[in-house]
Amino acid sequence: MNPAINIKNVRKTLNSREILKDISFTVEKGDIFGYLGPNGAGKTTTIRILLGLFQANSGSVEILGQDINMSQTRKKIGFVLDADGLYDNMTALENLVFYAHIYEMSGTEEIIKKLTSIAGLENRISDRVSTYSKGMRQRLALARAMIHNPDILILDEPTSGVDPSGQIEIRQLLINIAQNEKKTIFLSSHNLDEVQRICNRIALIDRGEIKLYGELEELRRGMGGGTVLIRTAHNIPESLHYELRNIVSFGLKEKKGLDLIFSPSEGTGVSDIISFLASHGIKIEEAIKKEASLEEMYASILKEVET
Amino acid sequence: MSSISLIINTGIKNNLRSKITLIIYIIVLLICASAMVISISFLLIKPELGNKQPDKLMLERYLGVILHSTSLITIGIYFNSVAFQSLTREKSRGIIASLLATPLTAKDVWLGKSLVIFIPALIFGETFTFIVLIILNCIYFIPRTGFLINPWIALSSFLAAPLIYFCLSLMTHLIGLTGKPASAGAIVNIFLPVIVTLSINLAMHNILDVNSWPFTVANLGIAAIIFIITIPLLRRLTNENIVLSG
Repeated sequence: MNPAINIKNVRKTLNSREILKDISFTVEKGDIFGYLGPNGAGKTTTIRILLGLFQANSGSVEILGQDINMSQTRKKIGFVLDADGLYDNMTALENLVFYAHIYEMSGTEEIIKKLTSIAGLENRISDRVSTYSKGMRQRLALARAMIHNPDILILDEPTSGVDPSGQIEIRQLLINIAQNEKKTIFLSSHNLDEVQRICNRIALIDRGEIKLYGELEELRRGMGGGTVLIRTAHNIPESLHYELRNIVSFGLKEKKGLDLIFSPSEGTGVSDIISFLASHGIKIEEAIKKEASLEEMYASILKEVET
Repeated sequence: MSSISLIINTGIKNNLRSKITLIIYIIVLLICASAMVISISFLLIKPELGNKQPDKLMLERYLGVILHSTSLITIGIYFNSVAFQSLTREKSRGIIASLLATPLTAKDVWLGKSLVIFIPALIFGETFTFIVLIILNCIYFIPRTGFLINPWIALSSFLAAPLIYFCLSLMTHLIGLTGKPASAGAIVNIFLPVIVTLSINLAMHNILDVNSWPFTVANLGIAAIIFIITIPLLRRLTNENIVLSG
């Protein structure tokens, strides 16, 4: 079975600057794929290649096993670009009807009704887009992206510039779309919290290279199990503190009052640390294992790149 | 409905709903065209009609200059006030990039956007020119000489002048899409006064007879030259150039 998106060894140079340096990744059907990276990393260029707006200098890009430059392939993709692309002086309904006709859809009434209801715009459908808030515009752009019932949605920072409540609405809308409409979603973002909440797979791009790619859960596990917080019943003696610091595999990072924060290396479990403390007569009040957050992973990868 | 006609319908609707743009267009049009029509009428037509035997050829020439210039001015001002402002807005709003990511081609978008400006300009321009023709005939000519219109000036004003702007629309939209809309706007801003001043001056100094077939052919020639210049520029019409220029 063909993956939803398959990018292989893609290179792209613009004005003699190499924007994408041999990037490869796959997005499987049904994925909510988070495409992360700092500004200028190559996210938008990748999206433009996926949408056929740019041609790769080398490598191949396939959407559901087909070349992106075929008109039939483009009909399988819905998109929201960094600018929403809506006609300001037209109503939401007119914008949706226009794109439905572009995709040669017939019997659009029902689908428009359904999409405006999903996007929560049914009461404002006859208003001009110029009267919409940024959040409403983005929700309308999402409805427009789905007007032709595409298999894949490619979204370039859909919550950028939207206020926090608008961001929550859009995030919820994306989760609903993925779950209820069974779409593959390719989401470019630099909002780590957003990606962490809704994506199951991610790729991290920096300076045109993919630095991290895979299932979010696997990546978290692979980052050394995150941090462990152990709260002791009483203060540990200085000698034990010294001893703990010298056990490299425990990775003691910090001692804050009764709290000890560890970043254990691979193969070292929470139980190992607890056993060690118990063997020294230390009573444990609480032990919390915190998995590596996307933010920590992101920061650590980018730090590695810089060094 | 074909994709180009979809772009045209939507684009025209979107542009014409901008009331401020339309008001500016009408005000500038009335000032420029009326000034030209009134000054030629009062300074040249009225004195000629005051003669015992008005020179019909001369009257036809004055009418020809008025009609041809009115046609050029009315269409040209629409281009100046609407075209490149709308193209700039559509590029910055991501409308052009969004259209290119659909099954539409760069050529569809280019032709569509050129016609979005040309069609209303043609309708406004030719309607205004026709009204001027009727008013001048009613006020001045019908009572003295009968209805006045030379077939060559009719062709130059109602066919060749719009054709010049159609070709200019194709060229400037190509430049505006693949480069900066302001550069395309500058071309129209220079073209309009130059061609209007040139045709009025040449006609008034008896160098060029606006009521002759060579004048019509010259107009068609200008349109052809603009079109020929446009052809090599078509190589730049790619999705990438359009998106990067935004």
